[in-house]
Amino acid sequence: MSHERLPTTIPEYLEHLRRSLAGADPALVQDALYDAEEYLRSELAENPGRSEAEVIAAVASSYGAPEEVADIYRDTEVKVQTALRAPSPPPRRSLAGRFFGVFADPRAYASLFYMVLALATGIFYFTWVVAGFSTSLGLSITIIGIPLLILFFGSVRVLSLVEGRIVEVMLGERMPRRPLYTTRGRSLWQRIGDMFTDPRTWSTMLYFLLMLPLGILYFTIVVTLTTCALTFTAVPPLVWLGFANASVQLDGWQILNVDHDVVATSMPAWGLPAMFVCGILLLFATMHVARGIGRLHGQLAKHLLVRTAQYA
Amino acid sequence: MTGSDDNGEAQLRKFQKELSAGTVSLALLAVLDRSPAPMYGYQIAKTLERVGEGVLSGKQSALYPVLRNLEAGGLLDSFVEPSDAGPPRRYYRITAPGRDALRDWAAAWRATRDSVDSVLEGASE
Repeated sequence: MSHERLPTTIPEYLEHLRRSLAGADPALVQDALYDAEEYLRSELAENPGRSEAEVIAAVASSYGAPEEVADIYRDTEVKVQTALRAPSPPPRRSLAGRFFGVFADPRAYASLFYMVLALATGIFYFTWVVAGFSTSLGLSITIIGIPLLILFFGSVRVLSLVEGRIVEVMLGERMPRRPLYTTRGRSLWQRIGDMFTDPRTWSTMLYFLLMLPLGILYFTIVVTLTTCALTFTAVPPLVWLGFANASVQLDGWQILNVDHDVVATSMPAWGLPAMFVCGILLLFATMHVARGIGRLHGQLAKHLLVRTAQYA
Repeated sequence: MTGSDDNGEAQLRKFQKELSAGTVSLALLAVLDRSPAPMYGYQIAKTLERVGEGVLSGKQSALYPVLRNLEAGGLLDSFVEPSDAGPPRRYYRITAPGRDALRDWAAAWRATRDSVDSVLEGASE
């Protein structure tokens, strides 16, 4: 199968596999490398008498050579996902269908919810990174700071996986489900050094810092758009059913004013139908905005949280 | 090797691939249902290797994505535990919905196997 020399060490095998998966989804690459390493290391542990090269040669027929494994992952991922996941709704053809069809798309609701949640998670991530980084960096002039800094870097990796799960479930962007193995055979100090030089550590922290402004922005957009849309949609029926009065001016022009048991709007009666239509359109537009932002944010998360070296 | 042999080989491989799509999921659920303790990927692969014939004897790397997707579908759940020999391992065990699915799938499998067998016997006579 392979025209290349068969790898003789586990890192070589993994490197070979990574090369064979070039161009695949980086999250898939990370999962594939994790699985292969688990298998190879278990096989090595089961056969203490054999050398690494012998074990890898045996593994090529049971687990598969790197190229075969790459093909299997590309294949199985597509096949099993289409078999086990709920089918996505058929795309709507007409322009109106595509505009109004957004209400039947679960992705739009999930994005809307993610945008609200982003305020809470954003505050948490931001606080964690700022407090954790400054505390451990400040203390690293003393001896306690160094282990604290290492613990903090570890916690950032765990948070990155957690955020990855949230992003995948709500925004539908495939994210890694397994952490990356650190390279084995390196000393403790080298591994600590790797944490500082790994660009992913820094891009993850940047992402967490960005989550605060983004979370505020997303939350504001969702709250503003949904309240406007819901008010515009609710006021005309309230007037028509006799619960509210139209053309009432109280302290300036107001869309909806609730004062004790008097509900009123400044909109004159002739403008109500237009207002109702605007409200409905705005409701659908909000869902489109949410879905669009969700997609963009998924891309951002993928670029900052998943190691870019895996694209290569 | 003649051209027609190559073609037959490729068609056999395509058939095996299609056949394995569902049977591997069923076999994984069954292995985890029989097992008294949670198992990790390598153990599951080796268990199947011992009994595996036909499509179950394929490359073991194919099992991992299926395990992950069964987990995503709620039929399995998993946890990570550090091991003294190498990397931390992900252990899988079957969930209650997984057991329900296994019962339904096993019934579907038996019905299919029986009817395919009777058709094949009819064909060979």
